[in-house]
Parts: sequence; C-alpha cells; structure tokens
Amino acid sequence: MKLLSWIIFGLTALAQWAAPLAQISSHEQVLTQGTLIKLKCTAPDPYDPLRGRFLAVRPEQREAPAPKDMLVPSGATVYGLLSTGPDGLATVASLSLTPPASGDYIRLKSTYTYGDKTQLQWPFDRFYINEKLAPEADQWFAENIRSAKGITAEVRVLNGRAVLADLSLDGKPFREILKARVK
Amino acid sequence: MNSSHQRWLLEQLPQWEREGLLTTEAARTLRERFATDASQPGLAQMVMGSLGALLIGSGLIAILGYNWDEFTRPVRLLFAFLPLLLTQLFSLRVLQRGEAAAAWVREVAALLQALAAGACIALVSQIYNMGGEWPDFLFWWFILSLPLVWVLRSHAVAIFYLIAIAIWSMGQVEHGRPWFDSPLLYPVLLLGLLPYWPGWKNKLPLSISVRWVMTLSAIFGLGSVAVFVAQKVDSPYSSFDDETYVWLWTLTAAIIALFPLTQAGIDESTGRKPQVVLGTLWLLGFGIVATFRSSARHILDGVAHAVLLPWCWGLFAVLAGFVVLAAMHRRWAVLAIASVALLPLLAWPFVQGKGDSVGTLLSSLVTLHLSAVGITLIVLDFIGKVGAPRLGATLLSALILARMSDSQLSLLTKGIAFILVGVAFLAFNYFMSRRHRQLTLVTV
Repeated sequence: MKLLSWIIFGLTALAQWAAPLAQISSHEQVLTQGTLIKLKCTAPDPYDPLRGRFLAVRPEQREAPAPKDMLVPSGATVYGLLSTGPDGLATVASLSLTPPASGDYIRLKSTYTYGDKTQLQWPFDRFYINEKLAPEADQWFAENIRSAKGITAEVRVLNGRAVLADLSLDGKPFREILKARVK
Repeated sequence: MNSSHQRWLLEQLPQWEREGLLTTEAARTLRERFATDASQPGLAQMVMGSLGALLIGSGLIAILGYNWDEFTRPVRLLFAFLPLLLTQLFSLRVLQRGEAAAAWVREVAALLQALAAGACIALVSQIYNMGGEWPDFLFWWFILSLPLVWVLRSHAVAIFYLIAIAIWSMGQVEHGRPWFDSPLLYPVLLLGLLPYWPGWKNKLPLSISVRWVMTLSAIFGLGSVAVFVAQKVDSPYSSFDDETYVWLWTLTAAIIALFPLTQAGIDESTGRKPQVVLGTLWLLGFGIVATFRSSARHILDGVAHAVLLPWCWGLFAVLAGFVVLAAMHRRWAVLAIASVALLPLLAWPFVQGKGDSVGTLLSSLVTLHLSAVGITLIVLDFIGKVGAPRLGATLLSALILARMSDSQLSLLTKGIAFILVGVAFLAFNYFMSRRHRQLTLVTV
C-alpha cells in the first residue's frame, strides 16, 4: 500500500506539471510558427478574481456565412477560413465543419445559426494586463475603441489554433503606448 | 459519539481513576472501546492548518494575479511553477515521514499543493491570454487535486473536491453538452472519492463535517443531473422542465435517505446522518406539497415525462437496490418516508386522460400515506420501538393545515381548526416531554 501511495503521488505531481506544460507547448508553437493576423475589436470589461486585471477582447466580426446545406448545431466546432482585406485586417470569409485544405484558418464555436448566418464564439476573449497599468489601459481602450483606426488584436494562428499575442493601435503595440502614457 | 467527544472522554479518564469514580479495569475497557485514530486530525487542528494554507495559497494567487509585466514570459512561468515544485517537495517530505507526520501537517501539505496546482494553471492561462470558462479551469483543478485526498488523507482537500464537483456540475446544466462535459459526469466524479484513501485502515467513520459536505455535494450534483436530463431537446436554447426534474429530485432524495449504512451507522443518532435528515426533509416537504390537487397534477405531468428518460430508470435501479438493503436492515421508518417518492408512479396509470381531476387521486393517496406514516412514527415509540413521535406529530399537523388550506371551508372554520391543531400539537409536545422525563427517572 505504501508503494501505491508513492506511485499515485508521483503520477499526481507529474500530471500537475504536465497539464500546464501541455498548454504552454501548444501556445508557444502557435506563437512562434503561426501566421500573424489582425482583427478589429470592440468593448472592454476588466476583472477576473483569480487571474487579475484584463481587457475583454471581442473581435468585431460576430457572424459568418454558414456552411451551405449543412446544419450547424449550437456549440459545434467550426473552421473559419481567414482572408485579409486591403486594410490588413482579417475576417472569417467562410465556415466549414472540417478543416480547410489550404489557407489560414481558425477553430471557432458556433453559438447559433439562423438563415445563412452562423454566430461565432472566438477562442480568445481576454488580454491580461498589469494591475498598475490597468486604469490607464481602461481609459486608453475607451478613448480608442470607437476611433476610425480602432484597436486591433494581433493573433497568431496555426492549424486552427489561435493565440492572442498583443493589442495594437495604428500599428503600435499596446504596452508601449501605455507605458508612454503613464510616464 | 464523535471523535472530539471521544478525545474528551479519554482526557477525563486519569482524573476519574484518581478520584475513584472508575476502577482501572473500567477505565481500560473505556479506553479500548473509545480508542481514537491518532492519524486523524482534530477539528481545531484541521481548521487552523487549513486556514493557514488557504491564506498562503490565496496570497500566492493574488501575487501572481498582479501580472508582473516587467518580466519576460519564461521568468513569469518560473513564478508559476516554483510554488508548485516547493509544495510538491513539502508533500513528498510529509509522505516520507508517514505516520510520524502530524495530521495537521498532512492537511497543510495537501491543501498547499492543491492551491499551488490551481495557481499554476491560472497563471499559465493568464500569461497566454487563454480564453475559456471558469468551469473548465475548475475541472482541471479538482481533477489534479483529487489524488492528494488519497495519498495524504486530507479532509480539507476532500471537502474542496466535493464542493468543486458540485459547483462544476451546476455550471454545466446548459442544454446540448456531450455527457462527459455535462452534470452526467458527476456520479463518476463522486466515485473518485470511493477509494477514500488507499492504504488507510478505516477504523473510524467519516467526520461529521465531511458527511455534511458530501451529502450537500451529492444533493446539488445529482440535482443538476436531473435538471440537465429534463431539458426539452427540441428547443435550440436551454428550456428547463421543472415538473420533470422536481420528481427526479424526489427520487434522488429517496436514494440519499436510503443510502446503505453498516449496523454501526444505523445505530448512530439521526443528527449524525445528514443524508437521512436532508433526504427526509425533502421527501416530507414534497409529500405535503403533493397533497394540493393543483401541485399533484403538475407532479403527474412530470412523471409522464420523467419515465421516458434513461436517467429516471437508472434512479429506479439504484433505489430498488437500496430499498432491499434497507429492508434487510429493518430501516422501516426511513423506508416508509422514502416510499412517498413512488406514490406518483402508483397514481399515474389511473389518471391518464382524465382532464382536471387527475390531481385528486394522488392528493388523496399522499394524504393517506403521510397520515399513516405520522401515526406509525408516534405508535412505534409507544410500543417501545425506535420511532419519532415529535416528527410524526409535526407531520400530522402539517398535513391537517395543508388540507385545510386547500379546502373550500370558511375562514372562520379554518381559523378555529388551525388553533385546535396548534393547541393539540403543544399539548402533545408537553405530554412527550413529561413521558420522556418519567422514563429517564425510572431508568436511573
């Protein structure tokens, strides 16, 4: 029985490392090898009791054309084929129930389908920020969210997986702008 | 007698021996009979140890939540894993010391490691701006904490696990989830505590705090399964069917009340059996509500939907097994109360397609049944068997009041009836107190 306790403890300790390490590995792969896309964002919302301050990141695009002649159930995984416009901003051009054969795509959840449109749930919704910078970030977000340039989310995508890398305004990284404002 | 009472008794024995109240032989017999398991922590030790670990763990989470922007990603990841490593090493040391480690130290080690594991997952998801809902985080947190209950015999982590699985299940009741991501997983998660610590010789029954948390966890967890399975599948949105899940809750309450016990468990006082207390309360409350004709009609509508659900048949199967075991142990009072859950099933075949009068049969059936249960609980006590006369009298009074409320009698008649029932109830209580005092004097 003593041996069993040691085995269980060893496996638990390993699993406690493996779970976050698997997430790290997956996210690092996307960050280093993924394609950079930019998405226009809307509306902030700032707090998580466990993980601290964050900005809610909601890509402006909320729906996309539903796959033709296919029923998309609520909560189903769909694959969005990305296309980049002349302004450099990416949008989901079409949806499919299987990964597209070519091009950059992102794995999303469908929340509801009506007519020929499917509402989307993006795989990221928050950008964590330093507690000291949070008030400034709130203000910056409020000032710029409705500006013509708008705030863009810089996202890396690889094989459907997406990692939110940064926020930017007019090509300048969010943190640099904030640090300049705080000085 | 719970462990704190046992400890108190053992502390008094030397003094009583010195004063000549007990012979050495009698004291030895008492010591053997009420031996405590020194490997189990006392309540104060557990509370203090857990509180300390909670404060440290919460502080750790808050410090990590500050989001140290100045540091690079690898350094921040180091912050996430370092506390986990340190707490794992602490637990390893405690495990090495085995029985020599104090019980409260085991609690602290297990709780700190569980909190560090949660903090590590939270920080990694913060660093990588991961989305996701809180139930996903909670799920991985309690899964990675569960083995600590087994190997470090931690009550605190067991309580955390029981609360967490119930909260997770309640957060997953949305329509359309696959079974492994829905409350249907709750029974499997609850079974995770079944080994209740391999290698631990279970000399003592579970502590009262763990029993209460376990019962409440089972109520909320299994209750959320009922809500999940009772949803209307033809709707694209969550559409809760309260008529159906209320009856499924009642079947669950019957199962909880009849949960099999050893003879030692049956002999314990009712107050130490939260599953019986809470299960019985729900069943009697349900019974009283079912005496109202309009409620009875809704209950029967719920039965019609529920019997089509596989979950309902699963509950029937478990209930049947528990009924057999309870009958073998002659737990007649609990069986009588639990049978209230099945009365709608008896009435249901006779009322289909009978329009507005469908509630009357069930209402009458429940009224008769509860009256018989109430009278039996009183009579059992008077013929020298284990009864519950005050519960019986309360049940009869509640039943009379419910029937009067549902009747077409004038307010004056109802008022007089209420006063008479109240006076009779107080008189009965007075009579029972006197009888109890007399019986105690005769015994002395």
